Amino acid sequence: MKLMDQSAILARLTEIVRTLFDEYDGPVDASLNAKAVKQWDSLANVQFMVLVEQAFKVRFTVSEITGLKNVGELMQVIQKKLGH
Amino acid sequence: MIPAAYPDLASLVQAQLAIFPEHESYLSTRFRNAAPRDLAFANELAAMIKTIAGQHLSHFCADYRWLAEVIIEEEIFFRREGRYRLSTFAEADAQVYSNEPYMRRYVNGILLSQLWWANHTSVMQYFRDTYLPGLPAGARHLEIGPGHGLYLYMAAREPRLASVAGWDVSPASIAVTTATFKALGYPGRIDLALVNLFDAPGGQFDSITLSEVLEHVEEPDQALRAIARLLAPGGRAFINVPVNSPAPDHIILFRTPEAVFDTIREAGFDIEATHLAPISGATLERARKLALTISATAIARKR
Ligand SMILES: C[S@@+](CC[C@H](N)C(=O)[O-])C[C@H]1O[C@@H](n2cnc3c(N)ncnc32)[C@H](O)[C@@H]1O
Repeated sequence: MKLMDQSAILARLTEIVRTLFDEYDGPVDASLNAKAVKQWDSLANVQFMVLVEQAFKVRFTVSEITGLKNVGELMQVIQKKLGH
Repeated sequence: MIPAAYPDLASLVQAQLAIFPEHESYLSTRFRNAAPRDLAFANELAAMIKTIAGQHLSHFCADYRWLAEVIIEEEIFFRREGRYRLSTFAEADAQVYSNEPYMRRYVNGILLSQLWWANHTSVMQYFRDTYLPGLPAGARHLEIGPGHGLYLYMAAREPRLASVAGWDVSPASIAVTTATFKALGYPGRIDLALVNLFDAPGGQFDSITLSEVLEHVEEPDQALRAIARLLAPGGRAFINVPVNSPAPDHIILFRTPEAVFDTIREAGFDIEATHLAPISGATLERARKLALTISATAIARKR
């Protein structure tokens, strides 16, 4: 999973958001955060982040998991970990 | 966030949010669609918790915040590895039960979780409204692992019970249970003892509570057989086990409610009734699909 552009990463994240947060039907873009999604509480966030780890074969630190700001920041962290 | 008709609940929510403001959206979701009957029960529970905590309420709320953070770390491990972090009683005993300061905070945190976690509240309500009224007059009651003591207190308040006892393997737990009865002004006598279920001294009971204990022992089938031995013929057990519920002292992972109920039947019980309570905010269907926590409760009769 090396070369991945922003839109490919966002597409993959969108799939995970849709699977886990099935009641949310708004847009998934860089500004999306947990506050905007009713089902996205702190436990669901762990499940989300571990699914992201598995999808991209990366490993987050605890503070990356609990301190997640929004999807845009997550995309940057993923890109960095993938070595872009 | 809480209607004025439930003042104890409203003030406890305020006290918790003063210590843990990040929990606001969780707690408002937790109570948003609660029925009046559930809010009334939650308000009663809140009044008891406030009395137990007394002037130390902010410490209790801080202990809950700490517990929530500990659970997040366990959850990360669980989701990555598909299993609980610890697997032996000796590890859980060293890290939790025999670690006095840790265990005190832990039990205080669990006390507040009885109210903040919908599955915990739901099981307690089922215990009070369905299990206790079904016990015969004169029943001798025992709880294994009373911890914060609220289940045991609700049983002790039931006038039809002849006697009430509690056994726990943790000195800190026994101290907390004792403090709960004292704070709530319980006038009667209860027998509390430091006992490991697997070294039970014998005795006969008509009713045994085993709530959130089975996932703490290495051999759940043997624990259930020990419960059966302690029950008089026809005696009943209230057995509550959370599935997919990582915690620092959970060592046995049950993945479905059915796995819990099968284990209970195989140990020599008939199941008379069951109650399934999913984690806050999830339907049972969603909890099953995503392997979220479900409290699986059975009222079981010794065969
Ligand atoms: C999570 S607390 C449960 C408190 C309460 N019953 C409830 O459902 O909320 C588990 C309790 O079981 C006790 N415990 C664990 N293993 C035990 C054993 N083998 N014998 C007796 N008590 C045990 C622990 O010390 C702890 O107080």
